[in-house]
Amino acid sequence: MKIIVAIKQVPERDAQVRINSAGKWIEEADLQFAMNESDAYALEEALQLKEKHGGEVIVLTAGPERVGTTIREALAKGADRAIHIEADDLTQRDALGVAQLLASAAKQESPDLVLTGLQSDDLGYGQTGVIMAELMGVPHASLILHVDKTDTGLTVKRELEEGWFQNIELPLPAVLMIQSGGTKLRYATLMGIKKAKTKEFRKVSASELGAAGASTAVLEKITLPQKQKSTQIIPGSAKEAAATLVEKLKFEVRVL
Amino acid sequence: MNILSATLAEPHSFSPWEKLLLVASMVASAALFCRRLGPILKRILKSRKDPNFSLAPVGKRVWDFFWEVLCQAKVIRERPLPGLAHAFVFWGFCAFALVTVNHIAVGLGVGFLDPHGLVGGFYFYFAAAFAIACAVGIFGLFVRRFVVRPRWLGGKVSYESGVIALLIFLLMVTYLAAFAVSDASPSARILWWTHTLSLLIFLPIIPHTKHLHLVLSPATIFLSRGGFSKIPPLVGDEDFGLVAGTDLTQLVSLQAYSCVECGRCSEHCPATNTGKELNPKEIILGLRSYLNEFGPTSQESLIGKFNSMTADFQCTTCGSCEYQCPVGIEHLPILIGLRRGAVNTGKWEDDHGAKLFLALERGSNALGMGALERDKFIQKQQFPIFDGTQEYCLWLGCMGGYDPKGREIIADFARVMNYLGTSYGVLRKEKCTGDPVRRLGNDLLFQQLAESNLEALAQNKVKKIVSICPHCVRTIQEDWKEFGTPPEIEHHSEFLASFADKLPNQTDGRVPQVPVSGPGNQKIVFHDPCYLGRYRNVYDEPRAVVSLAGELVEAPRSHQRSFCCGAGGGLAFLGEETGDRVSHTRAKELVATGASIIGTACPFCNTMFRDALSATGKAGPQLLDIAQLTARGLPSANAAIGVTTPGGSSRE
Repeated sequence: MKIIVAIKQVPERDAQVRINSAGKWIEEADLQFAMNESDAYALEEALQLKEKHGGEVIVLTAGPERVGTTIREALAKGADRAIHIEADDLTQRDALGVAQLLASAAKQESPDLVLTGLQSDDLGYGQTGVIMAELMGVPHASLILHVDKTDTGLTVKRELEEGWFQNIELPLPAVLMIQSGGTKLRYATLMGIKKAKTKEFRKVSASELGAAGASTAVLEKITLPQKQKSTQIIPGSAKEAAATLVEKLKFEVRVL
Repeated sequence: MNILSATLAEPHSFSPWEKLLLVASMVASAALFCRRLGPILKRILKSRKDPNFSLAPVGKRVWDFFWEVLCQAKVIRERPLPGLAHAFVFWGFCAFALVTVNHIAVGLGVGFLDPHGLVGGFYFYFAAAFAIACAVGIFGLFVRRFVVRPRWLGGKVSYESGVIALLIFLLMVTYLAAFAVSDASPSARILWWTHTLSLLIFLPIIPHTKHLHLVLSPATIFLSRGGFSKIPPLVGDEDFGLVAGTDLTQLVSLQAYSCVECGRCSEHCPATNTGKELNPKEIILGLRSYLNEFGPTSQESLIGKFNSMTADFQCTTCGSCEYQCPVGIEHLPILIGLRRGAVNTGKWEDDHGAKLFLALERGSNALGMGALERDKFIQKQQFPIFDGTQEYCLWLGCMGGYDPKGREIIADFARVMNYLGTSYGVLRKEKCTGDPVRRLGNDLLFQQLAESNLEALAQNKVKKIVSICPHCVRTIQEDWKEFGTPPEIEHHSEFLASFADKLPNQTDGRVPQVPVSGPGNQKIVFHDPCYLGRYRNVYDEPRAVVSLAGELVEAPRSHQRSFCCGAGGGLAFLGEETGDRVSHTRAKELVATGASIIGTACPFCNTMFRDALSATGKAGPQLLDIAQLTARGLPSANAAIGVTTPGGSSRE
């Protein structure tokens, strides 16, 4: 199976984020970066599939120079080769813009399976993988905890609410969005890092992929949320409470 | 017969046949000896060369040789009675050197020491004294091994040891008996031949198993790595630690073949003493068996062949084994080398271990907590931030920054430093020193942490560090050297002891808030942390501090024999132990001293004992770090905050 894992490098969990002077993004200068958490689970799922069924795991990452460390970490953990889409303007692209880049690169490889993390730790759109599937014209499934290969394709376990799970069968090729926590992650080893040095690390620029496309959603401004504390319990039946809630959201909180 | 006028009988005139027989048997004995020793020496020499090994400083090596080999100091000190018996046997052998040479010479008709002369006569009496001591010694050791049967010698009866003991006894007795007969008597000849045959049978038995130490151990002691738990650096891109036979170095092979199977390492091992699979003696003998079967050029994995992964990861790296070994075996680099082989190649699969590694891959501390937590703690305590102008950088460490008990210790230590007027600051950001991953054998993570920290310290212009954790101290001072030049660092016990005259003396009743429960002061039993005691040789300083706070009492196993709390070697982060809990075992021992306070100098020891004490259920002694013991004696304004209630619990 040829599996592509789309991995994003995000500011590390602990980071003290500050808004940059332009007010449109966070100050990146003194941040530490790490692999997006659900992407790490996607990578682990891919590696386990390769160990069971053979094939190849390719890391696909878009971003500036610094994403190299995260790519190497993925190679150290067992991915076979990497594609780095060089893009310095990733924060100015919306989910569609990013998905276009990733899908173009992925299409060139004709993979059997594309795995992405469920959502990113910084923006949390949860859309990139879904859009990729649409652009690539293949089926997708999200919130995946476990992937198994069958004779006809895949069977996957989806996480629903309240402790419910759903098992779905789907054909290959497909795109899956992997949820965190479904399996145990492996640690990076010295041997892995040494082997990673000789693995193929291909760089491709955004323009080469022909994925120009203006973003359809533009990030206007980032602010810190104002901290306020106010709790109101809304009485009445569901219909009455909903009406009351809409009133309040319109006139008191003013978000509608 | 007058004892004083007795002289050693030397048979005269051996016939040519006898001389021929003598030479032939000497040749046969020597040949057999060489044929057995040869392959072993070859295996040792064919092993990989040790990187970074240098004979300098030779002075220390010569001293160790003199003290440990010739004076048998460690042999005697750690097991006095059997040790002395062994020393007599050894010294007997040494004293007998000339006797033996002369004995053979007599057989060939060229004896050079005249029993009736001044030199010869004196020497033979001198040797006779040693012969008596040796005979008594070997007899005692025989009784110990075959009648008393101490458990650390192992369950199997070693017939070979019995044969050796008999031969040695025979050698001494035939020598002594020769004083009672005359030169010309047939008994003299019989005694002479018995002595000779005993000698010639003894020689080829030496390369067999543990008796090889007669030949090897002086070299092993002389050629030790130096230091304590000296972990060799990895060399090149293919080196991942001790993975296969090809990774065994000459030192490791030499040490594996030197093992005397005395069991002193096992006797003091916290794992072996609490029913775990790990037995340091078996680790070393396992390597010996591997070398015998596969050799030093084999690609067969070391783990699984006479060595189990489970056992390897039960070691707390307390160092008792390496400290106790009388023949110079250095267990820790070997054990950590085996762990490296398992971790650096990804072979080790352990949920807790992976969790620890992932926490440090993604975050800054071993407890997996957010760095914001440490920031909040610093803000709440209003610690000054290190800006390059202060004298000391106070290193919080993972325990001091994130563990509730560790934080109490830091807060109290800071209080003491404020009282002393020391200028210090804490770093805005710290990463784990890497101690647990270093001892678990994860060199990738360790290198990343060491290099990142060294860079941060250099940028912040840190020159001197003081830390409450012996693990941080050791790792920063020694292990980081592989990747750069670490700043000076001292443990807070060393710091406090250097200001002992300025610290309040709580034992004279003048410090009101310290209860002087009559008669006399509170008894405080001090537990020597492994990484402060055996690793750093610091024993007096924490005691000086404890003595200011109360009456110091010693645990049955203290100083170099201190019994581990169980947290070291990364084990504090791994899962549930099998067998008895190491921490509970030690806590029981400390409680049994009757002290009302257990004094610690390591946040890991502290946390382990806190769990152990609360598990017993009943009200036990208080558990206080030396910083807390000191702080409680400070003038009330300072000491009011962060008071600990009996039982070791506290409010934040």
